[in-house]
Amino acid sequence: MMEAARTYLLLFFGAAIVYNILLIRFIGLCPFFGVSKSIETSIGMSVAVLFVMTVATSACWLLWGLVLQPLGVGEFLYIPSFILVIAALVQFEEMFIRKVSPPLYKAMGIYLPLITTNCAVLAVAVESVKPGFLKLNIPYHYSLPEAVVYAIGVACGFAVAIVMFAAIRERIELAPIAKSLRGAPIGFITAGLMSLAFMGFAGLFKL
Amino acid sequence: MKRLREVFLSALMLENPLMRLMIGLCSALAISTRVESTLFMGMAATFVLVCSNTIISLSRKVIPDEVRIPVFIVVIASFVTIVDLVMRAYFPPIYARLGVWIPLIVVNCIILGRAEAFASKNDVLASVADGLGMGGGYTIVLLIMGTFRELVGTGKIVMFERTLVSLGSTFQPPTIVVLFPGAFFTFGFLMAILNKLENRWWGK
Repeated sequence: MMEAARTYLLLFFGAAIVYNILLIRFIGLCPFFGVSKSIETSIGMSVAVLFVMTVATSACWLLWGLVLQPLGVGEFLYIPSFILVIAALVQFEEMFIRKVSPPLYKAMGIYLPLITTNCAVLAVAVESVKPGFLKLNIPYHYSLPEAVVYAIGVACGFAVAIVMFAAIRERIELAPIAKSLRGAPIGFITAGLMSLAFMGFAGLFKL
Repeated sequence: MKRLREVFLSALMLENPLMRLMIGLCSALAISTRVESTLFMGMAATFVLVCSNTIISLSRKVIPDEVRIPVFIVVIASFVTIVDLVMRAYFPPIYARLGVWIPLIVVNCIILGRAEAFASKNDVLASVADGLGMGGGYTIVLLIMGTFRELVGTGKIVMFERTLVSLGSTFQPPTIVVLFPGAFFTFGFLMAILNKLENRWWGK
């Protein structure tokens, strides 16, 4: 019991902080630079990603375990089938948010359909089933609950990084900055400094 | 012919996917630690881009507008699967290093973006030219970043297990360049230098 709890805890914090998906692994950077103009939209985006990522990872895990693997077609069908599952889920979420919260829907604008092509969602889904890929540096098959905890951890890491970045960016808007650095370049340099800080967590624990 | 050249050059420079449109950043930042990886990643992305542009441009009149995005994604995913299997079969060490980034070509915004913005509205030859230009622009930026980061960060450039360039043993490489923050710094400063040059040449 204690052992299982420890595994889940390590998995969660490993995915959220030590191997932060945005700052350490560079996956899902488009929304990171695109919607991080204000704290509010970045929180909205994080919630959307958390929802899509968790549901998509469980759906893809089940699809892999129950359909693709038994039929022996996983090796060459996993890319198209996973991306279709994710696209369908995003479509569903878009309808749901539009119905429930029109202001949130308006705030997220173009980035909601773009979650489909947010590499983070596909990356986590692929990593939770495919052996041999980087899973916190160990080749390992996740069980379903482990895959879900991993997905939630990654999404929380995404939220932490993007909200912090949005807060810094709101301040940068007001700062005097050299002309050729204004806008995107200073954003990248800020992200680099944040990444430097997150690297400090690298020795926190070993899985 | 003139039009094709214009499309190609505009895709390569004015609309450079990484520097100007700022799409497809994730893979560029993540794999630019070694020249060898950038070369293979650039070739893989260009191959998928040209092939998907061709197919989508050929079938643009038969695809119903409402379902075009899923159709595009399936076309792209098929070509990515080809690359995935070929790389795994013939270049296992490079495949192992690129890892999850090969399946992630599917969700590289450059490819879907060009399918939607260019190939679905233009004829085949122009789409191929656009694919080559975009892929070339992506590869060039990757190569610049990869060369700088590998050379400065490790002190030498290694390709196919042979050292091509070495800065000598007295050079103490600042490892930070080849680590994660280095990617952001390199990209940010590359962009700033480009802005600076543009300001100087065109006085904007």
